[in-house]
Amino acid sequence: MISAVIIVLREVLEGVLMICMLMASASAMGHRLRWLPVALALGFVGAFSYAVFLEQISMAFEGLGQEIISASLLLAVAVLLIVHNFLAARHASLPEASAPALAVLGVCVAASAMSMSREGAEIYLYVYAFGVQAGEMASVLSGAAIGAGIGLSLGTFMYYGLRALPWRTCLWVSAGIATITGAGLVMQATYYLGQADILPGQAALWDSSSLVAESSLTGELLQAALGYEATPTAVQLSLYAASILAALGAMALARASVRTREISK
Amino acid sequence: MNRKGKINQRLRRALVTGVALCGVLLQGSAVLAQTLEVEIQIREHLFYPSEVRIPSKTKVKLIIRNLDATPEEFESYELNREKVIVGNSQGIVFIGPLEPGEYPFFGEFNPRTAQGKVIVE
Repeated sequence: MISAVIIVLREVLEGVLMICMLMASASAMGHRLRWLPVALALGFVGAFSYAVFLEQISMAFEGLGQEIISASLLLAVAVLLIVHNFLAARHASLPEASAPALAVLGVCVAASAMSMSREGAEIYLYVYAFGVQAGEMASVLSGAAIGAGIGLSLGTFMYYGLRALPWRTCLWVSAGIATITGAGLVMQATYYLGQADILPGQAALWDSSSLVAESSLTGELLQAALGYEATPTAVQLSLYAASILAALGAMALARASVRTREISK
Repeated sequence: MNRKGKINQRLRRALVTGVALCGVLLQGSAVLAQTLEVEIQIREHLFYPSEVRIPSKTKVKLIIRNLDATPEEFESYELNREKVIVGNSQGIVFIGPLEPGEYPFFGEFNPRTAQGKVIVE
């Protein structure tokens, strides 16, 4: 049961935190949470299809389909988070210049559903094989429920914590979280690209595992929150930095575009 | 030049520098050697062999065959690898070049039994 708790918590943590941040951010931009059921439904369908077709997906691209799909999903969500930052910064700078609801909610739905598809597929495979097929339903399902419960509680904390802030502060803080989350996703994508030998393996620049081991609880939390890596390579570090710069750049661009609009009035 | 133009120019310069930097880093690390292949089997939620010895500073292609009917996830924090291998199928995971040392891996779905390590010599 303990392994079910850990597996499910590890898988849901990152996605739940991101979805709750998007919920807070979309609400701060004046949108209701009606997009959430759509995102959840798409996420469930995505996770189920990914799990069912995993064998075919794995065999695609000469056995590297899983890596290519995972990296693409991660990078797509990272790009969507950058777009989110642009939209959030624009709304925070000048609410009248806010993007149409469809753009904001589209980003929220797509990012949430893609994140759920990737993480959910693993949970489905685990619960199906070791719960349903192995006849261990009670222990696996209760473990999964505890794991999901811990993840959802943390997400709830985050959502209400962000919502308690004044709306403008909420948007800037959300964009800050999105910046770091996005960089973490890019970091994960580099693992998959390395695993598929698309990105070359390199010597690590340093090893901080004696300080914070990735397998420790702190390490896991830092990894979910910041994309913590104990032994980063030069390529990973530059992509991480590039992702942060792109997210900050998108916010600067949004502010600048609003300012020129104000001046031209 | 107006403010917007200046910002655009600055962004463009940053982008060009970034792309150039990535290019240099990628080129510097290209490995030309032929890839070594190592097979690992999963049977009854255990890895065979559970210790894989590979040379240092060499890229290795791990072929992981899951002979169980249940899926398993090959995972390693130290190697930064994570791959689900459904029952009765196989998966490829590239690792290295690595520094000498021990790099533990485990099966996430059976973490207590399915454990092993890559020993880089």
